[in-house]
Amino acid sequence: MTPLLAVEDYTLGYRVAGAVRPVLKRLSLAVAPGEVLGLVGESGSGKSSLAAAIMRALPRNAREEGGRIALEGQDLRGLPERALRPIRGRRIGMVFQDPSAALNPTLTIGRQVREVLRLHRGLNPAAAQAEALDILGHVGLRDPAAILRRYPHQVSGGEKQRVLIATAFATRPELLILDEPTTALDVITGARILELFATLLRETGAGALYISHDLALVAHVSDRIAVLRSGRLVEQGAARQIFVAPQHAYTRELADAVPRPERRLTQSTPGPALLELDGIGVTYGRKRLFGPAPAPTVREVSFSVREGEILGVVGESGSGKSTLARALTGLVPHADRLRLRGAVVGRMGRDYRRAVQVVFQHPDASLNPRHTVGSQIARPLRLFGGDVREVPRLLEQVRLPADYARRYPHQLSGGEKQRVAIARAFAARPALVICDEITAPLDVSVQATVIELLLELHRLHGTAYLFITHDLNLVRQIAHRIAVMQAGRLMDLQSDTAIAAGEGAPYTRALIDASPRLDLGDRP
Amino acid sequence: MIETFRRLGRTPQGVLGLLLLLIVGLACLLGPMVAPFDPEMIDFMGRYAAPSTRHWLGGDQLGRDVLSRLLWGARTTVPLALLATLGGTIVGAVIGTASAFWGGRVDEAIMRTVDAVMAIPGLLLALLIVGTVGAGSLNAALAVAIAFVPSMARITRSVALSVRRLDYVGAALARGEGAGWIVLAEMLPNVVAPIVVETTIRVAFAVMLFATLSFLGLGAQPPAADWGLMAAEARRTLHQAPWTMIGPAGAIALTAIGFNLLGDGLRDALNPRDER
Amino acid sequence: MSLRWLLRRLGLVLYTMLVVSVIVFGITQVLPADAATTLLGENATAEALAAVRTRLGLDQPAAVQYWHWLSGVVTGDFGTSMRTGQPVGPVLMLALGRSLLVAACALLLVVVLAVPLGVVAALRRGGAIDLGAGLLSYVGVSLPEFVTGTLLLMLLADWLGWLPATGYVALTDDPADAVRHLVLPVLTVSLVLMAHISRMVRSETVDVLHSDYIRAARLKGLPPGRIVVGHVLRNAMLPVVTVLALDVGYLLGGIIVVEEIFAIPGIGRAVITAITSRDLPMLQAAALIMAATYAVANLLADMALSVLDPRIRYD
Repeated sequence: MTPLLAVEDYTLGYRVAGAVRPVLKRLSLAVAPGEVLGLVGESGSGKSSLAAAIMRALPRNAREEGGRIALEGQDLRGLPERALRPIRGRRIGMVFQDPSAALNPTLTIGRQVREVLRLHRGLNPAAAQAEALDILGHVGLRDPAAILRRYPHQVSGGEKQRVLIATAFATRPELLILDEPTTALDVITGARILELFATLLRETGAGALYISHDLALVAHVSDRIAVLRSGRLVEQGAARQIFVAPQHAYTRELADAVPRPERRLTQSTPGPALLELDGIGVTYGRKRLFGPAPAPTVREVSFSVREGEILGVVGESGSGKSTLARALTGLVPHADRLRLRGAVVGRMGRDYRRAVQVVFQHPDASLNPRHTVGSQIARPLRLFGGDVREVPRLLEQVRLPADYARRYPHQLSGGEKQRVAIARAFAARPALVICDEITAPLDVSVQATVIELLLELHRLHGTAYLFITHDLNLVRQIAHRIAVMQAGRLMDLQSDTAIAAGEGAPYTRALIDASPRLDLGDRP
Repeated sequence: MIETFRRLGRTPQGVLGLLLLLIVGLACLLGPMVAPFDPEMIDFMGRYAAPSTRHWLGGDQLGRDVLSRLLWGARTTVPLALLATLGGTIVGAVIGTASAFWGGRVDEAIMRTVDAVMAIPGLLLALLIVGTVGAGSLNAALAVAIAFVPSMARITRSVALSVRRLDYVGAALARGEGAGWIVLAEMLPNVVAPIVVETTIRVAFAVMLFATLSFLGLGAQPPAADWGLMAAEARRTLHQAPWTMIGPAGAIALTAIGFNLLGDGLRDALNPRDER
Repeated sequence: MSLRWLLRRLGLVLYTMLVVSVIVFGITQVLPADAATTLLGENATAEALAAVRTRLGLDQPAAVQYWHWLSGVVTGDFGTSMRTGQPVGPVLMLALGRSLLVAACALLLVVVLAVPLGVVAALRRGGAIDLGAGLLSYVGVSLPEFVTGTLLLMLLADWLGWLPATGYVALTDDPADAVRHLVLPVLTVSLVLMAHISRMVRSETVDVLHSDYIRAARLKGLPPGRIVVGHVLRNAMLPVVTVLALDVGYLLGGIIVVEEIFAIPGIGRAVITAITSRDLPMLQAAALIMAATYAVANLLADMALSVLDPRIRYD
């Protein structure tokens, strides 16, 4: 039986500054008709490049050196541009990561949907409109007519992704390429979108190539999985089996790095209350002369963080968790509703600053590009009375060579920059470190090392963490207690044992159910 | 600094720009020494002399050597343009950075006023100032400097705003750093780079604006060897001696192109991209 | 475009004109040590100076002088020219009309030539058109108008004799001749603008071409022609509207020079004459009117943008 998609011995490189950087090396894989093949790999593994190669939409500096990419036996590589157009978008559909980026912001959604339908299904405008209404209803959107009239910025991410999925399926493709389609969406929305995929794939009998860095997700969605590393195929096998009984060391490494709530990593016991929040509220924006007052971003949040406690704060985007972090570091004004070790914090003075530090999400933006690494770590030492000769030791503590002190941030990788940010936060031995989604932009294996590092520092210094993340599985591994936020409110605050025992508010349980877990069988 | 120069040398614009400006710079420094003739030496025999081995660029309507006048004129035109740009930039940068740092209503009020001043075209503003305080090279330079302030304030503000939003400023605030440290140590080094690029390109504009003022009779006054003035005087004798126009026009163009190229080259050189 | 937004924008225009009026008045009447001396010269008699001061109202405090002038302007009375003794308003309005004709033709030329040039340069990056346009643009922004104007005059009027050198002919008198007289000034003043706009359009178009949604459109199988016309152009043009409006300021400056070179009796020429003859009311009014033109142009651009760009609906 001819495979739906067959990649045979395919090699790809990019021409950068005179040399060719290899991206895919003699890659061979196949998707059977009606099958979902999951493609996993970390950043730089080449998975997105493979998608571009299949769609024949490689950048100008791409250099292909041998191999076939065949759709139902027909080699796509030899085809001229004219012959490729009926394939792109019609026989092979694609769904992207960020639905906002895939839609033209100055055209209505309806115009963009009808455009595709008219092109690939040859419909006249009236028929296209009717069909558009039909397919949007089919993917579960209420009031398709209104959505078609709107512009992309007026519609939510989840709705836009449904529209794009509907459009992709509407051309009755044989193969679908899905490139991280739920990464930009909330966990709960993402889970529903995945259900939608499964339904539509079953209905149409199309095959799919599901690309993602999220192993748990891919394992749930795919029939078979292929693991990519630095452009090479490392292993492929049935989705159920491949992580339970991996053949290759890298696959095992990857699987082990994925957070599993069953695997508890923290064993410490917290002390008395360190930082108490009493009804903190934050509202952005001023009340304008004509118009309603802006809604608060954080409402009446009260809880306390204990000495040496790891308190996880989870919530979807827009839940207010980052704003809360900013309030606690004084970046955003709020009334005197804080107590540090029992004493009211009026103005955040030296003692407070020394005790409460923060690490931000984006390593590229959190280090000043014009200062050396060493000077940035030394700064808190200078401010809070430490010894600047400690800088080499601090670097080693975060597993970076001491001579990195002379380097500039642009000479470091993302993970290394994040470690520098951590070293800087720990320099003055704070009592509490606020971690604002610090592992979100990192690969899963890099994330695992950063978490390991954080826990080691926790064991060494007894530092408390306010760990903000959207990854429930991760936080269940490390937190003593978990706070759940939604729309600026604190919905729930439970200990990890309670969560594990099945307790928690309905919203909390919904979040947990929507977070896919990697099943490793009986492996510890 | 050395690192920047090295990077600059790798871009074609940087190399070309530096080369052109080197020539201009040499003319400023050594011009009077290498000039074959006295720029004010009138020679009725040599009026409208075509370019020859004696007068490389010909003679003007009073028989003065065009090349010598250009070499002498570099000293009035270029340094004054540089000074005017620097003056306008510094004042504009202070206003812009302060406005960005304060933010909120103060920022809005300052920027609306800056926008209002920008409603007066630059040349018109310069003309108003020169027309009132009197013609002359220094006054023209002052007028150019003042005319540059609003746009430099706008540009600095937008750069400063984008820097202010970045997390390392947030980290500094979270450390309890004072306003002085944040503005000077965290923001300024990152604001300086784009401003340097913009300023370099502005010098080209200043050279042209200055020349235009001289052309309109409100900048340098005769018998100065200012390039703009030479071009104005050349207008009347365009038929007989086109080189009297081409000489100064070429000099102005060369200088402006040089600064434009240098600015483009600096834009790439000052941007530390991923070097891993 | 809501009424509230429009009112706010109009309020801004008013604030702008207020600030401009203060600056213009401040520089011309308040700044000089003694406007009367500047007017009559160093050797004027004390009586003559005193007479001029009273006539100009210079013996009154600055704020009062400003108020008199401003209240006049608001009611349409721009004062009387010190040079001709005629009311300033009507003369300037006529002059403005002529200048606006040149400006409008220049803008039209820029839009018709520079915009497509920029788009083509972006679509065929690295090609002959791109490099050629780039080179020309570099030269274009490095030559002041008086140089290009004089060179063009030299070439097209003196040597080739295709066009008249200087002067102005009203459209109503002789359309063909009027157009012939307009060619050189319009060409001169639009060159710098064309260089700037074509580079801008090119860089905007390149940005749009690299954007994710254009990539997505390609991957949906849309043919390139469709993508360029239906998607790219629309998005790339939006910032161009803003830049064109900002460039009106530069255009007005260029018009001053061009009117001087080609002897066109427009508002720019009026400014120069007013400066050299120390005609204060004329100068103040002309400056005010030029600034008003810029403010109105920007308002129109903002209005156009709020209609064209769905992301800016309510300010």
